[in-house]
Amino acid sequence: MIPEIGHIILISHLVLSFMGGILPLAAIYSKNDFLSIPTKKLSVFLFFLILVPFLVLIYSFLIDDFSVAYVSQNSNINLPNYYKLAATWGAHEGSLLLWILAMNGWLIAYMFFNNSKDKDYISTVFSISCQVIFAFSLFTLFTSNPFERILPIPPLSGADLNPSLQDIAFTVHPPLLYFGYSGLMIPFAISVAAMLFSKDTKEWASNSRPWTLMSCSFLTLGIALGSWWAYYELGWGGWWFWDPVENAAFIPWLLSVALFHSLIASENRGVYGKWSILLSIFAFATSLLGTFLVRSGILTSVHAFALDPERGLFILGILAFFIIGSLFIYSIKDFENETTPSYELTSKEFGFLLNNLLLVVLAVSILFGTIFPLIYEAITDGKQISVGAPYFEVILFPFALALGLLQGFALYLSWGTSSSFKFLPRLLIESVSIFVLILIILFILFDNLHLTSFATIFLSSWILMGTLQINKNKNLNYWRFLRKRAAVTFAHSGMAILTLGVAVVSSYSIEKEIILAPDDSVEFGNQTILFKNTEDIMGPNYFSKSATMSFSDGSNISDVLTEKRTYSPSGQLTTEAGIKTEIFQDLYISMGDNLEADIWSFKVQIKPFIRWIWLGALMIAIGSLLAGIKRVRKT
Amino acid sequence: MKKVIDIFPLAIFVVLLIVLFSFLSEKDDQLETALVDSDFPDFSLSALSNDNKTLTKGDISKLPALINVWATWCIACRVEHPFLMQLKNESVLTIYGLNYKDNRTKALSLLERDGDPYEFSIYDFEGRLAIDLGVYGAPETFFVDKNGVIRERHVGVVDETVWEKKFAKYLNE
Amino acid sequence: MNKLIPLFFLVFSIEISGDEENKLDFNNDAYPFSSEAKETLFYSLLNELRCPKCQSSNLSGSNSPISNDLKREVYELVLEGNSAEQIKSHLVQRYGNFIIYNPPIEPATYILWFGPFLLILLAIFIILFVRKR
Repeated sequence: MIPEIGHIILISHLVLSFMGGILPLAAIYSKNDFLSIPTKKLSVFLFFLILVPFLVLIYSFLIDDFSVAYVSQNSNINLPNYYKLAATWGAHEGSLLLWILAMNGWLIAYMFFNNSKDKDYISTVFSISCQVIFAFSLFTLFTSNPFERILPIPPLSGADLNPSLQDIAFTVHPPLLYFGYSGLMIPFAISVAAMLFSKDTKEWASNSRPWTLMSCSFLTLGIALGSWWAYYELGWGGWWFWDPVENAAFIPWLLSVALFHSLIASENRGVYGKWSILLSIFAFATSLLGTFLVRSGILTSVHAFALDPERGLFILGILAFFIIGSLFIYSIKDFENETTPSYELTSKEFGFLLNNLLLVVLAVSILFGTIFPLIYEAITDGKQISVGAPYFEVILFPFALALGLLQGFALYLSWGTSSSFKFLPRLLIESVSIFVLILIILFILFDNLHLTSFATIFLSSWILMGTLQINKNKNLNYWRFLRKRAAVTFAHSGMAILTLGVAVVSSYSIEKEIILAPDDSVEFGNQTILFKNTEDIMGPNYFSKSATMSFSDGSNISDVLTEKRTYSPSGQLTTEAGIKTEIFQDLYISMGDNLEADIWSFKVQIKPFIRWIWLGALMIAIGSLLAGIKRVRKT
Repeated sequence: MKKVIDIFPLAIFVVLLIVLFSFLSEKDDQLETALVDSDFPDFSLSALSNDNKTLTKGDISKLPALINVWATWCIACRVEHPFLMQLKNESVLTIYGLNYKDNRTKALSLLERDGDPYEFSIYDFEGRLAIDLGVYGAPETFFVDKNGVIRERHVGVVDETVWEKKFAKYLNE
Repeated sequence: MNKLIPLFFLVFSIEISGDEENKLDFNNDAYPFSSEAKETLFYSLLNELRCPKCQSSNLSGSNSPISNDLKREVYELVLEGNSAEQIKSHLVQRYGNFIIYNPPIEPATYILWFGPFLLILLAIFIILFVRKR
């Protein structure tokens, strides 16, 4: 009975979001007040209409109601409660509910905290958002209903949640990512409303900027958590694989970064208005496109959801409706009050132009590389090709280099006129000193210098000094610094730290496959690894063979546990890596195969500076969140 | 002029949509056959039935033939087993088995129980010939023509339809 | 540990020669090499080659039976002194371009390899053009 309540409320959510998508527009265009509805209240009401089905689904998981098909496919009696909660969004149907919930959350936030006084314009933003929400609600009910029942005879126990998703990071990673994706709905709706109302560029850009920044912040966090999860959960120690699903998140991230930078120029100078509108549309489009690529099954991948071409078709339909619609408005719109930008080559405006150019071309290239295997198959009549990390790294490098070089001095550029480059010699000297300092530290730590990493390490010192030094020039006191510069300083330094992490981890990492019997030890890097013993462990829903390994660098000895788990309901195997984290490096060991009696193979890795990648990402996320919140509160 | 530029994003996006749509409709999960039209690779492996008997390419002498990759752990292999038996009983062509990463005893008792469609089976525990054939898993089937050249490969179960569509044409050459 | 060494000669059926050059230093390595260069080559290839059976993983990140077979194949080819290019083309002959994550540069992939850079040139060209006007 309770799942039916969830189902019915979900249907009412569909109906109400449809009305929210139509009525306000009808009221505005017919100038008929009779049709107007209280949009603020409606946004809250809609939120509850999706929250209740979501809670009902969680409840069904917690009470093991296996008559609900979705629960029986993704849970099990022995699954710990904590993971039952996570299982709610662990597969396609439930994750859609979470997605819609997130969209409604953003809509409430926008309705209550936006900085526009134009009622009709806000109602239009509301209406367009409701249309998007309606489309997702329809998609859920028609192709992916989480409340479908297995009646009259429900299974006694479920199939279990995919074991690699039974993990703490995984409980948080999807919500954050969906918050990021769905947040891009707001800038999209704003850009369409801005076109319909011929809004002044500065005005709508300032309206859009906080929401773009916050979405980008959530995307950053979601992606970083996903990378961390893959690193320790998949057992091979990679932190980024250029897998289609990862790319599907990375592309909207790049575009949202491009967008909020372009919005800075639009808000301050009234330039690039058309460009910002296009970017808002495409950032949202790529977040839908990512969903399409992942869930239609046209690209296979580690985290691919249940594959279903019908769902793919539906998402394509949503994409076609909203994006063709908005681009059509764009193509017929007469942008007469568009300021022609001053293309002074050394002005801040031109800096933003270059930044956007690089980010957008990079995003397009990654998208193209991601779907290229399909194109290749079509043009070569069935031949197959893989486009993976080696390709993407080659493409990324020159773009990252150009972006980083630009980022280093971008903050010094001035609006409207040619900038003075008096700061340059000092910045160069300082970043070279930091660069040398980093090299010395690396040499002390690892006894080795890799020429291939020099360019990227220099880049990170260049970005860092370019970010920090400008604050000194401005002579800000503590409070003014916090208010004016903290967000950008945080985010840009985060980029420097991330760059350093990537540079070091990709050139200093070492890996080896070894074979050990208990009490054997082996030298690896500066470590001695001892295989102490194996042990059998019974978990709540798995059986595991575990090995205790001890790492010793002469002074510190520490034990880690690596496991091979067999999950009982599904019989699936997972490898739990044993990781010892130090400030400058991770020691990573994962169990391989049992070769004979107690003799096992292991894969052991040393990953220097890997934590710095996520630290940098966290700083970027905090920085952009601060920047976003600051602009919400300003109004 | 200005208007034409404004239609550009829409045009690009529509092209992208059409491309994506076409991917959605034609989804063929067959794998590429890198070895088509090349000679059957050399090998030296023991026979399934006799550990001491070494088989080489020369032993695959009754051509044209099918080379069928199978194993006892492979469930789909049992699905195609009756059809392979039928090919053998009707003397359509010779079938050689490539027993892939399997347990010898189990494999032999399976053939004992369900019938043996193969002229002989090559025992490839380490997957050596399998790698030279570009095998992904079992079942997979290769057609080798009378000159010892690989002409076709099928991944998955071979049945009447697959036989007619992919292999039968080479037999009549 | 000593009993393991013959086991591995058995598994990998490596020819033992008296020649110093080919003497393998085991140190509990699953894939022992005579030189560091070969070892580096081996592990870099594992990262570039795709596990054919997995949805999306390189050989380095996979322990599936076919990955282990392919690792052994690569190992033997490296021991025999083949270069990275030779080993890759050896596998591409058998598995097609699918097996390497680094797509080859050929007419059908020109657009993949040069597209991004052409696009950026095009964009710069357009900006300069607009600027002039």
